[in-house]
Amino acid sequence: MRRICLAVAVLCCTFVLSACNREPLPPLVARNVAITMPLPGRQMSAGYLSLTNNTDVDVNITAVTSDAFRDVQIHESTLTNGIARMRKIDSLLLPANSTVVLEGGGKHLMLMNPKARPNEAPPTHVSLTFLDGEETLLSVDASVATNVSTENP
Amino acid sequence: MKKIVITVLLGTALLAGVFVATKTSEPAPLRAARVLPVANPVAEFSLLDQFGENITSDVFRGQWDLVFFGFTHCPDICPMTLQTLSSAINTLAQNGATELPRIVLVSVDPERDTPDILRRYVEHFGDNNLGITGALTDIRSFASATGIFFEKTPENNGNYSVDHSAAVLAINPDGEFAALFGAPHVVANYVHDLPLLMKR
Repeated sequence: MRRICLAVAVLCCTFVLSACNREPLPPLVARNVAITMPLPGRQMSAGYLSLTNNTDVDVNITAVTSDAFRDVQIHESTLTNGIARMRKIDSLLLPANSTVVLEGGGKHLMLMNPKARPNEAPPTHVSLTFLDGEETLLSVDASVATNVSTENP
Repeated sequence: MKKIVITVLLGTALLAGVFVATKTSEPAPLRAARVLPVANPVAEFSLLDQFGENITSDVFRGQWDLVFFGFTHCPDICPMTLQTLSSAINTLAQNGATELPRIVLVSVDPERDTPDILRRYVEHFGDNNLGITGALTDIRSFASATGIFFEKTPENNGNYSVDHSAAVLAINPDGEFAALFGAPHVVANYVHDLPLLMKR
C-alpha cells in the first residue's frame, strides 16, 4: 500500500512538472503559407496563409514586407451578386485567441514588383515580415508554390 | 376476370415503359452549368487576339469555348479561375475525353493588357488558349451583349482595379452562347458538367 501511494505521488509530481515546463505558445503563428511568383509578363502575385493570434489581446497588422518583393499589400476579394471585386485593406485585425485565414477569393497578400531581375531565376524561398507600425510581429520564411489550390471563386 | 387482369397488367407494363423511356431520354442533371433555354449567337465584334491579329465572333466557331472576362493585374480570382478551368480540362483529357473546350480570357483591362502580355498570360494555363483584347468600347459592347459587367475602380496610389462579373460562359461550336457557370468555380463541377454539356 505504501509503495502504491509513493508511485502515485511520483506520477503526480511528474505531471505537474511537465505542465510547468511546457513551452508557452508563440504569440503569432503562421501556417499553410503559399506564395506564388508572378505569372509570365506580370509583376504581381498572391500570398495565402493562416495567422493565429495566441495572445489575449487583439493584434493589428498594418504592414507586410518581403525580401523578394518591393511592395506587399493586404487585399480582399469579394464576390457579391456574381461580381468580383478586390480592395486594399489598410490593416488586418487578428482578434485575441483566434485565427484569420488569407485564402483565394478572400483576404490575401498582394505581392508586387519582384526584386529579382527578369533574367534571374526566381527565388525558391520568400521571407515575409508582418508589422504593426514599426513593431515586427512575425517573420516567416516560405517556399514558393508552383500553383495554389484551384478551389475558389 | 382473366381478361381484366391481363388488361391491367398490360396497361401497367405500358405505363412503366413510357416512364422509363421518358426518364432515359431526359438529359442527365448538371451540377453547376445553367443552360440557356435557347442558345444565342454571340454578337458580332471586332477585337484582337493575343497575337495582335484582328478577330471577329467567328473565332468562336469550331470548338467549345469557356470564356472568362478578367484581367492580368488581378493576382487572386482571375488566375485561380483560369487555373480551375485548366485543371478541369486536364482531368477530362486524362479521363480520355477527345473533345476538350478551349479557355478564352477576354481582358476587361485593355489599357494594360496588350496582346503580348495576354499571350504570355494565357499560355501559362495551357496550349491553344485564346486571349482577347482591343478597344475598350468594343470590349464593353461584347461584354454587355453577353450580360457581363465590368468597371474600373481607382485606388489611392494611382493604380486601379477592375470589378467584373466572375461567371464563365460556355460557347458552343456554332458560336452560340449556350450555358453559364456561376462562381464559385469548382474543378469537379466542370469535370462533371462539361461532357454532358458538350453532348447536348
